Amino acid sequence: MRDPDRLGMEKSSFESTQEFFDMWLKVYNATTGRLVEMPALGPTREKSDKMMKGFSTFANLFAAGMDTSSNLQSVFMEAMRKVHEKTATDMEGEISPEKCKDFYKIWIETYSETFKDFLKSGHFASDMGKLNSYLMDFQKYNREMLEENYLKSMNLPTKTEIDEINKELYSLKKTVKELTSQIKELKEKK
Amino acid sequence: MNGLNLIDDQEKFRHGMEIFLNPPDFSVGKTPSEIIFQEDKMKLIHYIPTVEKPHPVPILIVYALVNRYYILDLQPDKSMIKKLLDEGFDVYVIDWGYPSGVDRYLTLDDYVNGYINNAVDKIRERSRLDKITLLGVCQGGTFSVMYAALHPEKVKNLVALVAPVDFDTDKGLLHLWAKSLDVDKIVDYYGIVPGDFLNAGFLLTDPFRLMIDKYVGLFDRIECEPNDTACSIRNEETIKNFLRMEKWIFDSPDQAGETFRQFMKDCYQKNLLIKNEMKLNGKKINLKNINMPLLNVMAEFDHLVPNDASKPLTEAVSSSDKETLVFPTGHIGIFVGSKSQKEVCPRIAEWLKPRSHVDGTNEKKPDLAKKKTHEQKRKNRKSKVNIK
Repeated sequence: MRDPDRLGMEKSSFESTQEFFDMWLKVYNATTGRLVEMPALGPTREKSDKMMKGFSTFANLFAAGMDTSSNLQSVFMEAMRKVHEKTATDMEGEISPEKCKDFYKIWIETYSETFKDFLKSGHFASDMGKLNSYLMDFQKYNREMLEENYLKSMNLPTKTEIDEINKELYSLKKTVKELTSQIKELKEKK
Repeated sequence: MNGLNLIDDQEKFRHGMEIFLNPPDFSVGKTPSEIIFQEDKMKLIHYIPTVEKPHPVPILIVYALVNRYYILDLQPDKSMIKKLLDEGFDVYVIDWGYPSGVDRYLTLDDYVNGYINNAVDKIRERSRLDKITLLGVCQGGTFSVMYAALHPEKVKNLVALVAPVDFDTDKGLLHLWAKSLDVDKIVDYYGIVPGDFLNAGFLLTDPFRLMIDKYVGLFDRIECEPNDTACSIRNEETIKNFLRMEKWIFDSPDQAGETFRQFMKDCYQKNLLIKNEMKLNGKKINLKNINMPLLNVMAEFDHLVPNDASKPLTEAVSSSDKETLVFPTGHIGIFVGSKSQKEVCPRIAEWLKPRSHVDGTNEKKPDLAKKKTHEQKRKNRKSKVNIK
Protein backbone atom coordinates (compact mmCIF):
# COMPACT_ATOMS: atom_id res chain seq x y z
CA MET A 1 0.00 0.00 0.00
CA ARG A 2 1.15 3.49 -0.78
CA ASP A 3 1.92 6.25 1.64
CA PRO A 4 -0.78 8.98 1.49
CA ASP A 5 1.92 11.62 1.65
CA ARG A 6 3.49 10.10 -1.41
CA LEU A 7 0.08 10.12 -3.12
CA GLY A 8 -0.18 13.82 -2.43
CA MET A 9 3.22 14.32 -3.95
CA GLU A 10 2.26 12.36 -7.07
CA LYS A 11 -0.90 14.38 -7.44
CA SER A 12 0.93 17.65 -7.31
CA SER A 13 3.59 16.33 -9.71
CA PHE A 14 0.83 15.46 -12.19
CA GLU A 15 -0.60 18.92 -11.84
CA SER A 16 2.83 20.21 -12.72
CA THR A 17 2.79 18.06 -15.86
CA GLN A 18 -0.53 19.62 -16.80
CA GLU A 19 0.81 23.08 -16.12
CA PHE A 20 3.74 22.25 -18.38
CA PHE A 21 1.42 21.28 -21.25
CA ASP A 22 -0.74 24.36 -20.74
CA MET A 23 2.40 26.45 -20.96
CA TRP A 24 3.60 24.46 -23.98
CA LEU A 25 0.29 25.15 -25.75
CA LYS A 26 0.51 28.86 -24.99
CA VAL A 27 4.06 28.99 -26.34
CA TYR A 28 3.04 26.96 -29.40
CA ASN A 29 0.13 29.32 -30.12
CA ALA A 30 2.40 32.35 -29.75
CA THR A 31 5.25 31.00 -31.91
CA THR A 32 5.04 27.92 -34.19
CA GLY A 33 1.26 28.15 -34.23
CA ARG A 34 1.44 31.61 -35.76
CA LEU A 35 3.98 30.44 -38.32
CA VAL A 36 1.82 27.55 -39.53
CA GLU A 37 -1.26 29.79 -39.68
CA MET A 38 0.61 32.17 -42.01
CA PRO A 39 -0.90 32.26 -45.54
CA ALA A 40 1.11 30.06 -47.94
CA LEU A 41 2.51 31.44 -51.21
CA GLY A 42 3.44 30.06 -54.63
CA PRO A 43 2.06 27.40 -57.00
CA THR A 44 1.40 24.89 -54.18
CA ARG A 45 -0.26 27.58 -52.06
CA GLU A 46 -3.67 25.85 -51.81
CA LYS A 47 -2.24 22.47 -50.84
CA SER A 48 0.28 23.91 -48.40
CA ASP A 49 -2.42 26.01 -46.78
CA LYS A 50 -4.60 22.95 -46.19
CA MET A 51 -1.67 20.89 -44.92
CA MET A 52 -0.54 23.56 -42.49
CA LYS A 53 -4.00 23.72 -40.95
CA GLY A 54 -3.41 20.17 -39.76
CA PHE A 55 -0.90 21.39 -37.19
CA SER A 56 -3.49 23.46 -35.33
CA THR A 57 -6.03 20.65 -35.57
CA PHE A 58 -3.51 18.28 -34.03
CA ALA A 59 -2.44 20.79 -31.38
CA ASN A 60 -6.07 21.25 -30.30
CA LEU A 61 -6.63 17.49 -30.11
CA PHE A 62 -3.39 17.00 -28.21
CA ALA A 63 -4.25 19.70 -25.66
CA ALA A 64 -7.79 18.36 -25.15
CA GLY A 65 -6.36 14.82 -24.82
CA MET A 66 -3.89 15.99 -22.19
CA ASP A 67 -6.67 17.74 -20.31
CA THR A 68 -8.84 14.63 -20.31
CA SER A 69 -6.07 12.25 -19.31
CA SER A 70 -5.00 14.63 -16.55
CA ASN A 71 -8.55 14.65 -15.16
CA LEU A 72 -8.83 10.87 -15.45
CA GLN A 73 -5.49 10.50 -13.71
CA SER A 74 -6.75 12.61 -10.80
CA VAL A 75 -9.85 10.43 -10.47
CA PHE A 76 -7.71 7.29 -10.54
CA MET A 77 -5.55 8.77 -7.78
CA GLU A 78 -8.63 9.68 -5.74
CA ALA A 79 -10.07 6.16 -6.15
CA MET A 80 -6.72 4.67 -5.18
CA ARG A 81 -6.58 6.87 -2.09
CA LYS A 82 -10.07 5.76 -1.03
CA VAL A 83 -9.19 2.08 -1.52
CA HIS A 84 -6.08 2.61 0.56
CA GLU A 85 -8.14 4.19 3.34
CA LYS A 86 -10.62 1.34 3.36
CA THR A 87 -8.10 -1.49 3.23
CA ALA A 88 -5.03 -0.20 5.07
CA THR A 89 -5.64 -2.16 8.28
CA ASP A 90 -7.54 -5.16 6.82
CA MET A 91 -4.81 -6.03 4.42
CA GLU A 92 -2.13 -6.40 7.05
CA GLY A 93 -0.82 -9.88 7.91
CA GLU A 94 -1.04 -13.06 5.87
CA ILE A 95 -2.63 -12.88 2.44
CA SER A 96 -5.49 -15.37 1.99
CA PRO A 97 -7.95 -16.01 -0.88
CA GLU A 98 -10.74 -14.45 1.24
CA LYS A 99 -8.66 -11.35 1.75
CA CYS A 100 -8.00 -11.15 -1.99
CA LYS A 101 -11.73 -11.46 -2.68
CA ASP A 102 -12.57 -8.82 -0.07
CA PHE A 103 -9.94 -6.54 -1.52
CA TYR A 104 -11.35 -7.03 -5.02
CA LYS A 105 -14.87 -6.20 -3.76
CA ILE A 106 -13.69 -3.01 -2.08
CA TRP A 107 -11.58 -2.10 -5.11
CA ILE A 108 -14.37 -2.55 -7.67
CA GLU A 109 -16.98 -0.77 -5.52
CA THR A 110 -14.71 2.17 -4.74
CA TYR A 111 -13.45 2.63 -8.28
CA SER A 112 -16.94 2.25 -9.70
CA GLU A 113 -18.49 4.80 -7.32
CA THR A 114 -15.63 7.31 -7.61
CA PHE A 115 -15.75 7.19 -11.41
CA LYS A 116 -19.53 7.43 -11.46
CA ASP A 117 -19.33 10.66 -9.45
CA PHE A 118 -16.77 12.01 -11.89
CA LEU A 119 -18.74 10.91 -14.96
CA LYS A 120 -21.84 12.65 -13.58
CA SER A 121 -20.06 15.99 -13.40
CA GLY A 122 -20.75 18.64 -16.00
CA HIS A 123 -17.00 19.08 -16.17
CA PHE A 124 -16.52 15.58 -17.63
CA ALA A 125 -19.38 16.08 -20.12
CA SER A 126 -17.90 19.31 -21.47
CA ASP A 127 -14.37 17.86 -21.56
CA MET A 128 -15.54 14.78 -23.48
CA GLY A 129 -17.55 16.98 -25.82
CA LYS A 130 -14.50 19.09 -26.53
CA LEU A 131 -12.20 16.09 -26.99
CA ASN A 132 -14.68 14.43 -29.31
CA SER A 133 -15.11 17.59 -31.34
CA TYR A 134 -11.32 17.99 -31.82
CA LEU A 135 -11.02 14.30 -32.64
CA MET A 136 -13.64 14.64 -35.37
CA ASP A 137 -11.81 17.72 -36.76
CA PHE A 138 -8.56 15.79 -36.80
CA GLN A 139 -10.04 12.67 -38.41
CA LYS A 140 -11.82 14.77 -41.01
CA TYR A 141 -8.60 16.59 -41.79
CA ASN A 142 -6.71 13.30 -42.15
CA ARG A 143 -9.31 11.96 -44.53
CA GLU A 144 -9.26 15.12 -46.62
CA MET A 145 -5.48 14.92 -46.85
CA LEU A 146 -5.64 11.25 -47.83
CA GLU A 147 -8.18 12.01 -50.52
CA GLU A 148 -6.37 15.09 -51.78
CA ASN A 149 -2.81 13.80 -51.79
CA TYR A 150 -3.18 10.09 -52.42
CA LEU A 151 -6.56 8.83 -53.65
CA LYS A 152 -7.11 11.62 -56.18
CA SER A 153 -3.56 11.40 -57.55
CA MET A 154 -3.93 7.60 -57.85
CA ASN A 155 -7.26 8.15 -59.63
CA LEU A 156 -9.09 6.14 -56.95
CA PRO A 157 -12.63 6.87 -55.70
CA THR A 158 -12.85 8.96 -52.56
CA LYS A 159 -15.30 8.81 -49.65
CA THR A 160 -16.61 12.23 -50.67
CA GLU A 161 -17.45 10.92 -54.14
CA ILE A 162 -19.10 7.79 -52.71
CA ASP A 163 -21.17 10.00 -50.40
CA GLU A 164 -22.32 12.04 -53.39
CA ILE A 165 -23.48 8.83 -55.09
CA ASN A 166 -25.21 7.70 -51.88
CA LYS A 167 -27.02 11.02 -51.68
CA GLU A 168 -28.12 10.75 -55.29
CA LEU A 169 -29.25 7.15 -54.75
CA TYR A 170 -31.20 8.12 -51.65
CA SER A 171 -32.96 10.90 -53.50
CA LEU A 172 -33.79 8.62 -56.45
CA LYS A 173 -35.11 5.85 -54.20
CA LYS A 174 -37.28 8.35 -52.37
CA THR A 175 -38.72 9.64 -55.64
CA VAL A 176 -39.42 6.08 -56.84
CA LYS A 177 -41.18 5.27 -53.55
CA GLU A 178 -43.31 8.41 -53.77
CA LEU A 179 -44.26 7.72 -57.38
CA THR A 180 -45.05 4.06 -56.63
CA SER A 181 -47.30 5.11 -53.78
CA GLN A 182 -49.05 7.71 -55.97
CA ILE A 183 -49.60 5.10 -58.71
CA LYS A 184 -51.04 2.70 -56.10
CA GLU A 185 -53.40 5.40 -54.82
CA LEU A 186 -54.55 6.26 -58.34
CA LYS A 187 -55.14 2.57 -59.12
CA GLU A 188 -57.22 2.18 -55.96
CA LYS A 189 -59.27 5.26 -56.84
CA LYS A 190 -60.13 3.88 -60.30
CA MET B 1 -10.40 -23.51 4.88
CA ASN B 2 -8.48 -21.00 2.78
CA GLY B 3 -6.93 -23.75 0.73
CA LEU B 4 -10.36 -25.31 0.18
CA ASN B 5 -11.75 -21.99 -1.09
CA LEU B 6 -8.89 -21.68 -3.50
CA ILE B 7 -9.54 -25.21 -4.80
CA ASP B 8 -13.26 -24.40 -5.08
CA ASP B 9 -12.51 -21.29 -7.17
CA GLN B 10 -10.16 -23.27 -9.39
CA GLU B 11 -12.84 -25.94 -9.84
CA LYS B 12 -15.39 -23.30 -10.82
CA PHE B 13 -12.95 -21.87 -13.34
CA ARG B 14 -12.17 -25.34 -14.73
CA HIS B 15 -15.87 -26.22 -15.09
CA GLY B 16 -16.58 -22.89 -16.75
CA MET B 17 -13.67 -23.22 -19.14
CA GLU B 18 -14.76 -26.73 -20.10
CA ILE B 19 -18.08 -25.31 -21.25
CA PHE B 20 -16.32 -22.54 -23.18
CA LEU B 21 -14.00 -25.07 -24.85
CA ASN B 22 -17.01 -27.02 -26.17
CA PRO B 23 -18.93 -23.95 -27.35
CA PRO B 24 -22.60 -24.35 -26.47
CA ASP B 25 -25.38 -23.30 -28.81
CA PHE B 26 -26.39 -19.86 -27.59
CA SER B 27 -28.47 -18.85 -30.58
CA VAL B 28 -31.12 -16.18 -30.02
CA GLY B 29 -34.57 -15.38 -31.40
CA LYS B 30 -35.83 -18.98 -31.64
CA THR B 31 -39.57 -18.24 -31.59
CA PRO B 32 -40.98 -19.39 -34.98
CA SER B 33 -41.54 -16.47 -37.33
CA GLU B 34 -41.80 -15.45 -40.97
CA ILE B 35 -40.81 -12.33 -42.87
CA ILE B 36 -43.94 -10.92 -44.43
CA PHE B 37 -42.65 -7.62 -45.80
CA GLN B 38 -39.34 -6.03 -46.62
CA GLU B 39 -38.40 -2.50 -47.60
CA ASP B 40 -34.73 -1.66 -48.10
CA LYS B 41 -33.08 -3.14 -44.98
CA MET B 42 -36.23 -3.08 -42.85
CA LYS B 43 -37.98 -6.43 -42.40
CA LEU B 44 -41.43 -6.94 -40.92
CA ILE B 45 -41.44 -10.17 -38.94
CA HIS B 46 -44.63 -12.01 -38.07
CA TYR B 47 -44.51 -14.52 -35.20
CA ILE B 48 -46.56 -17.65 -35.68
CA PRO B 49 -49.46 -17.45 -33.20
CA THR B 50 -49.50 -20.14 -30.55
CA VAL B 51 -53.25 -20.04 -29.97
CA GLU B 52 -55.91 -21.06 -32.43
CA LYS B 53 -57.77 -17.76 -32.30
CA PRO B 54 -55.56 -14.81 -31.32
CA HIS B 55 -57.02 -11.54 -30.04
CA PRO B 56 -58.23 -9.70 -33.14
CA VAL B 57 -56.08 -6.56 -32.86
CA PRO B 58 -52.45 -7.37 -33.73
CA ILE B 59 -49.45 -5.86 -31.97
CA LEU B 60 -46.57 -4.24 -33.84
CA ILE B 61 -43.40 -3.99 -31.76
CA VAL B 62 -41.10 -1.14 -32.77
CA TYR B 63 -37.62 -1.58 -31.37
CA ALA B 64 -34.82 1.00 -31.15
CA LEU B 65 -32.22 1.56 -33.86
CA VAL B 66 -29.57 0.92 -31.21
CA ASN B 67 -28.89 -2.80 -30.63
CA ARG B 68 -31.21 -5.49 -31.95
CA TYR B 69 -34.85 -6.42 -31.43
CA TYR B 70 -34.07 -10.01 -30.37
CA ILE B 71 -33.56 -8.90 -26.76
CA LEU B 72 -37.34 -9.37 -26.72
CA ASP B 73 -36.87 -13.00 -27.76
CA LEU B 74 -33.50 -13.84 -26.24
CA GLN B 75 -34.31 -17.41 -25.24
CA PRO B 76 -37.55 -19.35 -24.75
CA ASP B 77 -37.78 -18.67 -21.00
CA LYS B 78 -36.77 -15.02 -21.42
CA SER B 79 -38.93 -13.96 -24.31
CA MET B 80 -41.39 -11.12 -24.13
CA ILE B 81 -42.56 -12.08 -27.61
CA LYS B 82 -43.24 -15.71 -26.68
CA LYS B 83 -45.07 -14.55 -23.59
CA LEU B 84 -47.31 -12.25 -25.63
CA LEU B 85 -47.97 -15.08 -28.12
CA ASP B 86 -48.87 -17.41 -25.25
CA GLU B 87 -51.22 -14.74 -23.92
CA GLY B 88 -53.04 -15.01 -27.23
CA PHE B 89 -51.74 -12.04 -29.21
CA ASP B 90 -50.81 -11.80 -32.86
CA VAL B 91 -47.32 -10.27 -32.78
CA TYR B 92 -45.23 -8.46 -35.39
CA VAL B 93 -41.78 -6.93 -34.98
CA ILE B 94 -39.79 -4.50 -37.10
CA ASP B 95 -36.20 -5.59 -37.71
CA TRP B 96 -34.28 -2.48 -38.78
CA GLY B 97 -31.31 -4.46 -40.08
CA TYR B 98 -27.79 -3.08 -40.31
CA PRO B 99 -27.62 0.32 -42.06
CA SER B 100 -24.63 0.84 -44.33
CA GLY B 101 -23.17 3.78 -46.27
CA VAL B 102 -26.11 3.83 -48.66
CA ASP B 103 -28.46 4.56 -45.72
CA ARG B 104 -26.59 7.56 -44.36
CA TYR B 105 -29.13 10.06 -45.69
CA LEU B 106 -32.19 8.28 -44.26
CA THR B 107 -34.07 10.73 -42.07
CA LEU B 108 -36.23 10.35 -38.99
CA ASP B 109 -39.15 11.07 -41.30
CA ASP B 110 -38.15 8.07 -43.47
CA TYR B 111 -38.21 5.84 -40.40
CA VAL B 112 -41.45 7.13 -38.86
CA ASN B 113 -43.58 8.13 -41.85
CA GLY B 114 -41.88 5.68 -44.20
CA TYR B 115 -40.87 2.34 -42.71
CA ILE B 116 -43.14 2.30 -39.63
CA ASN B 117 -46.11 3.59 -41.62
CA ASN B 118 -45.63 0.98 -44.34
CA ALA B 119 -45.28 -1.79 -41.75
CA VAL B 120 -48.48 -0.60 -40.03
CA ASP B 121 -50.30 -0.49 -43.37
CA LYS B 122 -49.12 -4.00 -44.21
CA ILE B 123 -50.49 -5.33 -40.89
CA ARG B 124 -53.75 -3.41 -41.31
CA GLU B 125 -54.10 -4.96 -44.73
CA ARG B 126 -53.41 -8.49 -43.43
CA SER B 127 -55.69 -8.16 -40.41
CA ARG B 128 -58.33 -6.20 -42.31
CA LEU B 129 -58.47 -3.65 -39.54
CA ASP B 130 -58.15 0.13 -39.54
CA LYS B 131 -56.15 0.27 -36.34
CA ILE B 132 -53.52 -1.85 -34.66
CA THR B 133 -51.67 -1.81 -31.34
CA LEU B 134 -48.25 -0.19 -31.35
CA LEU B 135 -45.74 -1.30 -28.72
CA GLY B 136 -42.62 0.85 -28.85
CA VAL B 137 -39.49 -0.06 -26.96
CA CYS B 138 -36.87 2.48 -25.83
CA GLN B 139 -36.00 4.71 -28.82
CA GLY B 140 -38.57 2.65 -30.76
CA GLY B 141 -41.05 3.88 -28.14
CA THR B 142 -40.17 7.47 -28.96
CA PHE B 143 -40.66 6.68 -32.67
CA SER B 144 -44.01 5.05 -31.84
CA VAL B 145 -45.10 8.14 -29.90
CA MET B 146 -44.19 10.30 -32.90
CA TYR B 147 -46.07 7.93 -35.20
CA ALA B 148 -49.17 7.77 -32.99
CA ALA B 149 -49.26 11.60 -32.87
CA LEU B 150 -48.99 11.85 -36.66
CA HIS B 151 -51.28 8.91 -37.55
CA PRO B 152 -53.73 8.48 -34.65
CA GLU B 153 -56.31 7.03 -37.03
CA LYS B 154 -54.15 3.91 -37.45
CA VAL B 155 -53.30 3.23 -33.80
CA LYS B 156 -55.80 1.44 -31.56
CA ASN B 157 -53.58 1.25 -28.47
CA LEU B 158 -50.16 2.65 -27.69
CA VAL B 159 -47.77 0.94 -25.31
CA ALA B 160 -44.57 2.86 -24.57
CA LEU B 161 -41.98 0.66 -22.91
CA VAL B 162 -39.04 2.53 -21.31
CA ALA B 163 -39.49 5.22 -23.95
CA PRO B 164 -37.93 8.66 -23.49
CA VAL B 165 -40.01 11.69 -24.49
CA ASP B 166 -38.79 14.43 -22.15
CA PHE B 167 -35.03 14.64 -22.63
CA ASP B 168 -34.43 17.59 -20.31
CA THR B 169 -33.22 15.58 -17.35
CA ASP B 170 -29.78 15.18 -15.84
CA LYS B 171 -30.62 11.91 -14.11
CA GLY B 172 -29.24 9.68 -16.87
CA LEU B 173 -25.60 10.03 -17.91
CA LEU B 174 -26.48 9.75 -21.59
CA HIS B 175 -28.83 12.72 -21.27
CA LEU B 176 -26.09 14.70 -19.57
CA TRP B 177 -23.35 13.84 -22.05
CA ALA B 178 -25.51 14.23 -25.15
CA LYS B 179 -25.90 17.96 -24.48
CA SER B 180 -22.15 18.53 -24.92
CA LEU B 181 -21.75 16.49 -28.10
CA ASP B 182 -21.07 18.24 -31.37
CA VAL B 183 -23.49 16.04 -33.29
CA ASP B 184 -22.90 17.79 -36.63
CA LYS B 185 -19.20 17.04 -36.55
CA ILE B 186 -19.83 13.39 -35.68
CA VAL B 187 -22.35 12.88 -38.47
CA ASP B 188 -20.38 14.90 -41.01
CA TYR B 189 -17.29 12.81 -40.37
CA TYR B 190 -18.77 9.33 -40.01
CA GLY B 191 -21.85 9.58 -42.20
CA ILE B 192 -23.01 6.31 -40.75
CA VAL B 193 -22.40 6.62 -37.01
CA PRO B 194 -20.62 3.44 -35.85
CA GLY B 195 -22.43 1.23 -33.37
CA ASP B 196 -19.13 0.88 -31.52
CA PHE B 197 -19.07 4.64 -30.96
CA LEU B 198 -22.42 4.45 -29.19
CA ASN B 199 -21.42 1.28 -27.35
CA ALA B 200 -18.39 3.08 -25.95
CA GLY B 201 -20.82 5.61 -24.47
CA PHE B 202 -22.99 2.88 -22.90
CA LEU B 203 -19.93 1.13 -21.42
CA LEU B 204 -18.70 4.41 -20.02
CA THR B 205 -21.83 4.75 -17.87
CA ASP B 206 -20.32 2.19 -15.47
CA PRO B 207 -16.91 1.22 -16.85
CA PHE B 208 -15.58 -0.94 -14.01
CA ARG B 209 -18.71 -3.02 -13.57
CA LEU B 210 -19.37 -3.45 -17.28
CA MET B 211 -15.82 -4.07 -18.45
CA ILE B 212 -14.24 -5.91 -15.49
CA ASP B 213 -16.62 -7.08 -12.77
CA LYS B 214 -19.08 -8.68 -15.18
CA TYR B 215 -16.39 -11.07 -16.45
CA VAL B 216 -14.80 -11.66 -13.05
CA GLY B 217 -18.18 -12.63 -11.60
CA LEU B 218 -19.04 -15.06 -14.40
CA PHE B 219 -17.28 -18.13 -12.97
CA ASP B 220 -18.53 -17.37 -9.46
CA ARG B 221 -21.94 -18.54 -10.58
CA ILE B 222 -20.65 -21.97 -11.62
CA GLU B 223 -21.67 -24.83 -9.30
CA CYS B 224 -19.35 -27.73 -8.68
CA GLU B 225 -21.21 -30.89 -7.74
CA PRO B 226 -19.28 -33.86 -9.11
CA ASN B 227 -21.28 -36.33 -11.21
CA ASP B 228 -24.44 -34.23 -10.94
CA THR B 229 -26.08 -33.96 -14.36
CA ALA B 230 -28.63 -31.35 -13.24
CA CYS B 231 -25.79 -29.18 -11.98
CA SER B 232 -23.91 -29.50 -15.30
CA ILE B 233 -27.05 -28.47 -17.17
CA ARG B 234 -27.48 -25.44 -14.88
CA ASN B 235 -23.84 -24.48 -15.44
CA GLU B 236 -24.22 -24.71 -19.19
CA GLU B 237 -27.36 -22.58 -19.00
CA THR B 238 -25.48 -19.97 -16.92
CA ILE B 239 -22.79 -19.70 -19.58
CA LYS B 240 -25.32 -19.73 -22.42
CA ASN B 241 -27.37 -16.95 -20.80
CA PHE B 242 -24.22 -14.91 -20.34
CA LEU B 243 -23.13 -15.42 -23.95
CA ARG B 244 -26.58 -14.51 -25.28
CA MET B 245 -26.50 -11.21 -23.39
CA GLU B 246 -22.91 -10.64 -24.46
CA LYS B 247 -23.88 -11.20 -28.10
CA TRP B 248 -26.81 -8.79 -27.82
CA ILE B 249 -24.84 -6.04 -26.07
CA PHE B 250 -22.12 -5.96 -28.72
CA ASP B 251 -24.38 -6.59 -31.71
CA SER B 252 -24.74 -2.88 -32.35
CA PRO B 253 -25.86 -1.72 -35.78
CA ASP B 254 -24.45 1.52 -37.14
CA GLN B 255 -26.83 4.49 -37.22
CA ALA B 256 -28.12 6.33 -40.27
CA GLY B 257 -26.35 9.69 -39.91
CA GLU B 258 -29.20 12.09 -40.69
CA THR B 259 -31.57 10.24 -38.37
CA PHE B 260 -28.96 10.31 -35.61
CA ARG B 261 -28.44 14.03 -36.22
CA GLN B 262 -32.11 14.96 -35.88
CA PHE B 263 -32.79 12.60 -32.99
CA MET B 264 -29.84 13.89 -30.98
CA LYS B 265 -30.37 17.57 -31.74
CA ASP B 266 -34.17 17.79 -31.63
CA CYS B 267 -34.70 15.36 -28.78
CA TYR B 268 -31.61 15.20 -26.55
CA GLN B 269 -30.34 18.75 -27.07
CA LYS B 270 -33.42 20.91 -27.78
CA ASN B 271 -36.06 18.65 -26.18
CA LEU B 272 -38.60 19.60 -28.84
CA LEU B 273 -40.81 16.49 -28.72
CA ILE B 274 -42.40 17.09 -25.33
CA LYS B 275 -42.87 20.79 -26.19
CA ASN B 276 -44.87 19.79 -29.29
CA GLU B 277 -42.35 21.69 -31.40
CA MET B 278 -40.63 18.83 -33.20
CA LYS B 279 -41.22 18.50 -36.91
CA LEU B 280 -40.93 15.59 -39.32
CA ASN B 281 -40.76 16.60 -42.96
CA GLY B 282 -42.18 20.00 -41.99
CA LYS B 283 -45.12 18.55 -40.08
CA LYS B 284 -45.35 19.37 -36.38
CA ILE B 285 -45.71 16.48 -33.94
CA ASN B 286 -48.44 17.37 -31.47
CA LEU B 287 -48.60 14.84 -28.63
CA LYS B 288 -52.16 16.01 -27.91
CA ASN B 289 -53.14 14.14 -31.08
CA ILE B 290 -52.53 10.93 -29.15
CA ASN B 291 -56.07 10.10 -28.08
CA MET B 292 -55.99 6.30 -28.08
CA PRO B 293 -55.53 4.21 -24.89
CA LEU B 294 -51.97 4.59 -23.62
CA LEU B 295 -49.91 2.35 -21.37
CA ASN B 296 -46.67 3.96 -20.25
CA VAL B 297 -44.30 1.34 -18.80
CA MET B 298 -41.07 2.20 -16.98
CA ALA B 299 -38.25 0.54 -15.08
CA GLU B 300 -37.62 2.17 -11.71
CA PHE B 301 -33.83 1.71 -11.83
CA ASP B 302 -33.41 2.51 -15.50
CA HIS B 303 -29.93 4.08 -15.90
CA LEU B 304 -30.32 4.76 -19.63
CA VAL B 305 -33.87 6.12 -19.80
CA PRO B 306 -34.62 7.65 -16.39
CA ASN B 307 -38.26 7.72 -15.29
CA ASP B 308 -38.20 11.53 -15.53
CA ALA B 309 -37.74 11.12 -19.28
CA SER B 310 -40.69 8.72 -19.71
CA LYS B 311 -43.27 9.82 -17.14
CA PRO B 312 -44.29 13.13 -18.79
CA LEU B 313 -45.77 11.22 -21.74
CA THR B 314 -48.81 10.24 -19.71
CA GLU B 315 -49.65 13.89 -19.04
CA ALA B 316 -48.72 15.12 -22.51
CA VAL B 317 -51.32 13.08 -24.41
CA SER B 318 -55.05 13.73 -24.60
CA SER B 319 -56.10 10.08 -24.13
CA SER B 320 -58.71 9.62 -21.42
CA ASP B 321 -57.80 5.94 -21.03
CA LYS B 322 -54.17 5.98 -19.86
CA GLU B 323 -52.09 4.19 -17.28
CA THR B 324 -48.53 4.30 -15.99
CA LEU B 325 -46.74 1.22 -14.69
CA VAL B 326 -43.36 1.28 -12.93
CA PHE B 327 -41.55 -1.99 -12.24
CA PRO B 328 -38.68 -2.29 -9.75
CA THR B 329 -36.11 -3.35 -12.33
CA GLY B 330 -33.58 -1.89 -14.77
CA HIS B 331 -33.55 -0.95 -18.46
CA ILE B 332 -32.49 -4.42 -19.63
CA GLY B 333 -34.06 -6.31 -16.73
CA ILE B 334 -37.51 -5.20 -17.87
CA PHE B 335 -37.07 -7.39 -20.98
CA VAL B 336 -35.04 -10.31 -19.69
CA GLY B 337 -35.17 -10.25 -15.89
CA SER B 338 -37.23 -12.75 -13.94
CA LYS B 339 -39.78 -9.98 -13.25
CA SER B 340 -40.21 -9.49 -16.97
CA GLN B 341 -41.81 -12.89 -17.49
CA LYS B 342 -43.66 -13.00 -14.20
CA GLU B 343 -44.90 -9.43 -13.89
CA VAL B 344 -44.18 -7.10 -16.82
CA CYS B 345 -45.52 -9.20 -19.71
CA PRO B 346 -48.61 -10.43 -17.83
CA ARG B 347 -49.50 -6.85 -16.79
CA ILE B 348 -49.10 -5.56 -20.35
CA ALA B 349 -51.20 -8.47 -21.63
CA GLU B 350 -53.82 -7.87 -18.95
CA TRP B 351 -54.07 -4.22 -20.01
CA LEU B 352 -54.15 -5.02 -23.71
CA LYS B 353 -56.66 -7.89 -23.73
CA PRO B 354 -59.87 -5.88 -23.14
CA ARG B 355 -58.58 -3.28 -25.60
CA SER B 356 -57.75 -5.74 -28.35
CA HIS B 357 -61.26 -6.41 -29.56
CA VAL B 358 -62.70 -5.07 -32.74
CA ASP B 359 -65.32 -2.45 -32.09
CA GLY B 360 -67.42 -0.73 -34.70
CA THR B 361 -64.79 1.91 -35.38
CA ASN B 362 -61.96 -0.50 -36.06
CA GLU B 363 -63.34 -2.43 -39.00
CA LYS B 364 -61.38 -1.81 -42.12
CA LYS B 365 -63.27 0.35 -44.54
CA PRO B 366 -60.66 0.20 -47.29
CA ASP B 367 -61.60 -3.46 -47.75
CA LEU B 368 -65.14 -2.44 -48.56
CA ALA B 369 -63.71 0.10 -50.92
CA LYS B 370 -61.62 -2.65 -52.49
CA LYS B 371 -64.70 -4.84 -52.81
CA LYS B 372 -66.46 -1.96 -54.54
CA THR B 373 -63.44 -1.48 -56.77
CA HIS B 374 -63.51 -5.16 -57.74
CA GLU B 375 -67.23 -4.96 -58.48
CA GLN B 376 -66.71 -1.78 -60.46
CA LYS B 377 -63.92 -3.42 -62.45
CA ARG B 378 -66.11 -6.45 -63.11
CA LYS B 379 -68.87 -4.15 -64.32
CA ASN B 380 -66.42 -2.24 -66.48
CA ARG B 381 -65.15 -5.46 -68.01
CA LYS B 382 -68.73 -6.53 -68.64
CA SER B 383 -69.57 -3.26 -70.24
CA LYS B 384 -66.47 -3.50 -72.41
CA VAL B 385 -67.56 -6.95 -73.51
CA ASN B 386 -70.98 -5.53 -74.28
CA ILE B 387 -69.48 -2.82 -76.42
CA LYS B 388 -67.58 -5.36 -78.39
